[in-house]
Amino acid sequence: MSTRARVTQIEPPAATGGNALLVLVGLGVAFLLITALLGAAKAEGTLYNESNLLYVALIFYAGAGALYMGFGVTGTAKYVKYASICTAIGFVANTLAVAHRWYLSGGPPFASIYEMLLSFVWTLALLTLVAEKKFGVKIIGSITMPLAVVCVILMQLLPSEVRPLVPALQSTWLHVHVTLAMLSYATCAVSFALAMMFLIKDDFSTDTFLAWTCALVAGIYAGIVATRFERWGGLSVTAWDLQNKSDVFLGRGVRLFVTIPDLGWLFVIALVGAVAPLAFYLLGRARHDASYIAVANKGVFVGILLQLVVLGAFVLRVKDSSYASPYQEGIYPTSLAASPFILGGMVTGVFASLLYLMLLWRRNDLQDLLPSSDTLDRVTYKTICIAFPLLTGMIATGAFWANRTWGSYWSWDPKETWAAITWLVYAGYLHMRVTRGWRGRRAAYFAILGFGVVIFTFLGVTYLLPGLHAYA
Amino acid sequence: MAFALLSIPKRIYKTLANLRTGVVLLILVVIASAMGTFVLQRPVTEPDKLQAAYSPQMLRLLDRLTLTDIFHSWWFLTLLGLVSLSIIFVSVERFPNAWRFYARPYRKTDSHFRAANPYRVEIPIRNADQGLNAAERGLKDLRWPVERIVEHGETSLYAEKHRFSVMAVYLIHASLLLIFLGGIIDGVFGFSGFMGIPQGEQRNVIELKNGKKKQLPFSVRCNSAGQENYADGSPKKWWSKLAVIQDGREVESKEIVVNDPLVYRSLRFYQASFWIDGKKVHGLRIAYSGLDSKVIPLELRFHQPVNLDADTTVTLAEFLSDAFVRDGQVFKKSDSIENLAFGLEVVNRSDNSSAKVWLFPAEGTVLGADQVKFQFKNPTSAKDIDFSPVTGLEVSYEPGQSFVWAGCVLMGVGLFVAFYMVHMRIWAVAVPDAGGRLVLWIGGAANKNKDRFEQKFEEVVAEIRDEIESTTPTIRPSAPQTKEHPELTLVNTK
Repeated sequence: MSTRARVTQIEPPAATGGNALLVLVGLGVAFLLITALLGAAKAEGTLYNESNLLYVALIFYAGAGALYMGFGVTGTAKYVKYASICTAIGFVANTLAVAHRWYLSGGPPFASIYEMLLSFVWTLALLTLVAEKKFGVKIIGSITMPLAVVCVILMQLLPSEVRPLVPALQSTWLHVHVTLAMLSYATCAVSFALAMMFLIKDDFSTDTFLAWTCALVAGIYAGIVATRFERWGGLSVTAWDLQNKSDVFLGRGVRLFVTIPDLGWLFVIALVGAVAPLAFYLLGRARHDASYIAVANKGVFVGILLQLVVLGAFVLRVKDSSYASPYQEGIYPTSLAASPFILGGMVTGVFASLLYLMLLWRRNDLQDLLPSSDTLDRVTYKTICIAFPLLTGMIATGAFWANRTWGSYWSWDPKETWAAITWLVYAGYLHMRVTRGWRGRRAAYFAILGFGVVIFTFLGVTYLLPGLHAYA
Repeated sequence: MAFALLSIPKRIYKTLANLRTGVVLLILVVIASAMGTFVLQRPVTEPDKLQAAYSPQMLRLLDRLTLTDIFHSWWFLTLLGLVSLSIIFVSVERFPNAWRFYARPYRKTDSHFRAANPYRVEIPIRNADQGLNAAERGLKDLRWPVERIVEHGETSLYAEKHRFSVMAVYLIHASLLLIFLGGIIDGVFGFSGFMGIPQGEQRNVIELKNGKKKQLPFSVRCNSAGQENYADGSPKKWWSKLAVIQDGREVESKEIVVNDPLVYRSLRFYQASFWIDGKKVHGLRIAYSGLDSKVIPLELRFHQPVNLDADTTVTLAEFLSDAFVRDGQVFKKSDSIENLAFGLEVVNRSDNSSAKVWLFPAEGTVLGADQVKFQFKNPTSAKDIDFSPVTGLEVSYEPGQSFVWAGCVLMGVGLFVAFYMVHMRIWAVAVPDAGGRLVLWIGGAANKNKDRFEQKFEEVVAEIRDEIESTTPTIRPSAPQTKEHPELTLVNTK
């Protein structure tokens, strides 16, 4: 295979135990460094609190992710066992955090986006363990655990104090609605991971993975640059009110932005670092020349380094610093907590690139480890068969609750509309599969698309579009 | 071409009855809905926000393209109508086949079916009766409802479970149509709007979402309303005591809270909000002192005199939300809530004199104090002023909602049956195998969840095999065949 031949050009780690361990430790240290910085960004009180529990969960999830990657890199079977144990320990810590939260707020933790992420990660970890134990998809954690890590990082940054429920939220139906939402979203995440596994097993071209990874990373950075790049190279971030622990608002829903000088250029460079491999890939496709793709693969490696540099610079510059605002006189503090989604996006970019590298270096080993593509296809379908009724129930209970609260069961609010779109996408998947016999690749694309829509519904709508679901 | 000869209605029918058309329509619905979330929509946005977001030309263009109210535009509703028609037509196209399958199940196998069926096993038997009896017992032991089929003098067995699950898909689509129907009924006959009722007053006009007003044949009175707070001051609960007044009589009353509406004649009144009218006050807590300088708390209600001593009464007579003083006179400045002023009327019955005392809590000053023998103190905090509460009610009339909920429940049932109940069938017949030996042919089929069925099928086969062996007098394990079940061919169906 030509993939094999190219691999040798870019320093693949040898499959020996020592070297692999080195890679593993390196990854682990990187994770811990990031998390330590994030942990320090938050002032902590007592030792036994939710924040610390989440931190433990984060370290173990990250450790599990690292071990899965180590497994991918070395093919050492015992790593999977340890990864699974790590996931389980993380899950326990996560459960304690949920319980602590429940105890504090006196109700199930579903009232804010912070609490929903908490439940989401918990469900995700649970389903990962189920998929591992019941269906034998052992390395599914290599995708779901990084996802969990990104969510926990977001949680570390989002305001976490227990806010009392506004009257509209005090309803049992709300709890049913949100429970179903978290269950279905986590199931969709698992189906996404399985679909990716299917593509790996099904000899989906590594080069195309390269293109999609670069496109994802480029998309993230393009989004940041397009919305936050200020003239003369600054980066605007939301100002942070240290006393109230919230964003600074100029008016209702209008946030105050401050500009960090020169940081914008770094994001532009990272964007170029992601676009360049994509361009080389496209050139290589157009000219049928594999050497361009080899360059593109090197580009991804450089891209990761660039992303790490930008991430580090961002964390250092944003953390506990004050900057001038172009909109209002004076100097305002900002904080990592004020830009959770920029940070979340950047960490997602790093993970996506790392997963690609793992694929590039150890594709054949990964393929050997996975169950047959038929099994993966079937299990993907099964997870969607679970997710779809849950989604339906979520929409129905949400409508019922809205009807009891606002007197209308459907008001075309963006969140509702996007939930309906998600439902339609999965309905499309089921129709194509059942009546047109779509299997394999096309079904996998559909599952991936479905999860993209889920993410947009969950996070995108809340932060990009206005509506009734303002508190979630 | 035959297609060209079809009449236009028939061609429309054929197009809509095609699943591909249905999927294209769904994609269009998805695109339109997504647009409706990116472009600000008039019904849910305040007009000034829209004007702030778009330039006037842009707004005019969007309005003309109906993009500012996609979900109520004619073309979106048409699209939904076409989706409904497509669902109906596709179902009509497919239903006869499915019904035939459902009503006349394939009970008796033929040789082609037997050769092609993925789940099949052949077990050698002595004679047909022995095999069939054993199979019948085995199936019954595993609680399969088994039938004996006799045709042309040949007997075979047929057992099945959950046949109805093949019809679940029609239930799901019917429930979707039911939900649409409810939505259409509400869209045509229903309405929803808002009503703000100050405490103690009654109203019978609803402000509809589209800005129009609607008069009700009865009125609603708010007897009282209030808010309970959490310790941090954010609202915990809103409540209002409502009464329905018809022809001057109170016909219904209820205390409503969020999530628990008052229902009268299918109209539902929801507690949606609660606020304080800063321009109206119904009570005040202050203090006064007489000649002995003793400070006594005093609670005043609007227009209700309170005795200060045997001859003197005080009444809260006037309230201004924004007042100013010129030449010792108090004037109203504006309607906004700036400089509150309370006018107290002090009446002395002995000399029949009256005097006006004005309190200005913001400045802490008292005007006209020298005219009376009592000293009035300003209210010390906002808590001492009882502003008039206004309850905000969301009113809605949705005659179609029972269809919607029925549809939701049906869809839940349908999805459960469609996804989790498997139509499983098992056939057994005594036939000669390829080598001419008499065998019991057992075959099975399932419409989904094939790997679960594989287990069930193996379970059934093992049970029947046991039964056959127990009725065979001389156990002659014809070596490898019975041990490894070589006949058990499990072709994996994708």
